[in-house]
Amino acid sequence: MTGESQGRSTVLVVDDEPRVCQAFELWLDGKYRVVTATDGETALERLDGRVDVVLLDRHMPGLSGDEMLDRIREGDHDPRVAMVTAVDPDFDIVDMPFDHYVSKPVDGKTLEEIIERLLELDRYDGSLSDFYAVTEKIATLEAEKTSHELEASAEYGTLVERRDRLETAVNDQRAAVDDVEQLFEMATGDREDNT
Amino acid sequence: MGVATGELDALVRDTEFFRSLVENGSDAIVSIDEHSTILYANQSVERVFGYAPEELIGKKLTIIMPDRFRGDHFDAVDRYIETGERELDWSDIQLPAEHRNGEEIPLSITFEEHSYEGERVFSGIMRDISDRVEREAELERQNERLERFASLVAHDLRDPLQTARATLAVAQAGDDDALDDLVDVFDRMDELIGDVLTLAKQGQTVGDAVAVDLGSVAEDAWGTADTGAATLVVADDLPTVAADRERVRTLFENLFKNSVEHGSTSSRRGSADDSVEHGSAADDPVTVRVEPLADGDGFAIADDGPGFGDADADRLFDYGYTTSDDGTGFGLSIVDEVVRAHGWTVTATAGDGGGARFEVETR
Repeated sequence: MTGESQGRSTVLVVDDEPRVCQAFELWLDGKYRVVTATDGETALERLDGRVDVVLLDRHMPGLSGDEMLDRIREGDHDPRVAMVTAVDPDFDIVDMPFDHYVSKPVDGKTLEEIIERLLELDRYDGSLSDFYAVTEKIATLEAEKTSHELEASAEYGTLVERRDRLETAVNDQRAAVDDVEQLFEMATGDREDNT
Repeated sequence: MGVATGELDALVRDTEFFRSLVENGSDAIVSIDEHSTILYANQSVERVFGYAPEELIGKKLTIIMPDRFRGDHFDAVDRYIETGERELDWSDIQLPAEHRNGEEIPLSITFEEHSYEGERVFSGIMRDISDRVEREAELERQNERLERFASLVAHDLRDPLQTARATLAVAQAGDDDALDDLVDVFDRMDELIGDVLTLAKQGQTVGDAVAVDLGSVAEDAWGTADTGAATLVVADDLPTVAADRERVRTLFENLFKNSVEHGSTSSRRGSADDSVEHGSAADDPVTVRVEPLADGDGFAIADDGPGFGDADADRLFDYGYTTSDDGTGFGLSIVDEVVRAHGWTVTATAGDGGGARFEVETR
């Protein structure tokens, strides 16, 4: 490790397509320390306490991205995880413990924005990042599903209730922490880059 | 008090023209008094409800209602008689009725109220709308299928699009080999679009089935299926089936491609980093056999490759499911659609030597 890299955040890219890993590394390398893996098993080996953000493909042979996400959450480390995937989000994402969901294809600029936002969350406490994750899921589903489908979905209803509860909690904290406001707006206003 | 049971019936029968009109209509017609006692029922009630008209006359209307509506019915009639207010529109009410055999039949009902010798009579004209309900359900299933399909197509094009974008970025950064990879990505997208179009055409049922000689279709399909060094063995006692020849050929092509791509690595097309995920027989070109089922009611396509391995048996025929890096995952979905369109069934099993075996039952 060079002196320069010690100050940088670490991003773990997991995608079964080697060219995708290579390009993500190319796009992100100047700003972050980038580690790549083309399958879930290797990715778990490379996941250590230094990894801040995981960019995770869902559809992979062997250990799938969904399974890997569960393994990450069961493990000792607690990185932020963004699903970067061609899979259309369905209501099953409600129970998936990721922080962000973005549809392929993505470019370097989008990836950088997502990583910055996730790194920013680490500076605040749990309820705000929970709020962010729930808001993100709601936005992902709203972009994908018709209002009729949303209404008919019990999962979606639960999600909205959870968001409202967390919003109250976050608002309480907001009174105490000035700096949170900016982040709060960022989380609620987040959509333009994903649709 | 009230209209005597049978009196109205007698009147309608007396008037030949109306009798014929009412009795021979395709809709069931039932008239009741204020107490829901059936005064008259036309001949069509037998076809719709399974009771002869004389079995219904004198009974309560609730005899042709599912249990759960019976209480509500009496309450609603009582309220109407008391207040004169209709709680629902009386035309084209959709309600299920209960057939004599216990099955529910969806009905469209139009009520009329009239008076006969000072007594209030209510008549219901009831049309069996099972066909319409079934058509609606079928449409809904088709819509769902289409939506699932569109979603998978989107997924399957986004994936290579990401790879293309990534590969281009790598090429722009100075790696010229990446440009060659781009050609592969575009080929994959091209193949995918071909499969999607084929699959979209399989949705309809088979119109004109003709006698098809399975052996000759199999040989034809083999010739165009890009089978490399693999060998085809066609049994000479294959049955002749009633089928759409072109679509059976599509079925064979896709099963052959499946065997060739998964049965031996040497004849698989695709990138150089293919893992040897299909076992020890990897370097021998696969042999594919087409043979009749033991009971004669169908045929099987079997290979001597390593079988299904880690593949999820429940998902083999799903859109987009593949264990291969460069497969589209649509091949076996196409097979499944062809089979369904003919009213056949297909099952994936392990063959005698552990290879993949697909059995198509044509009866």
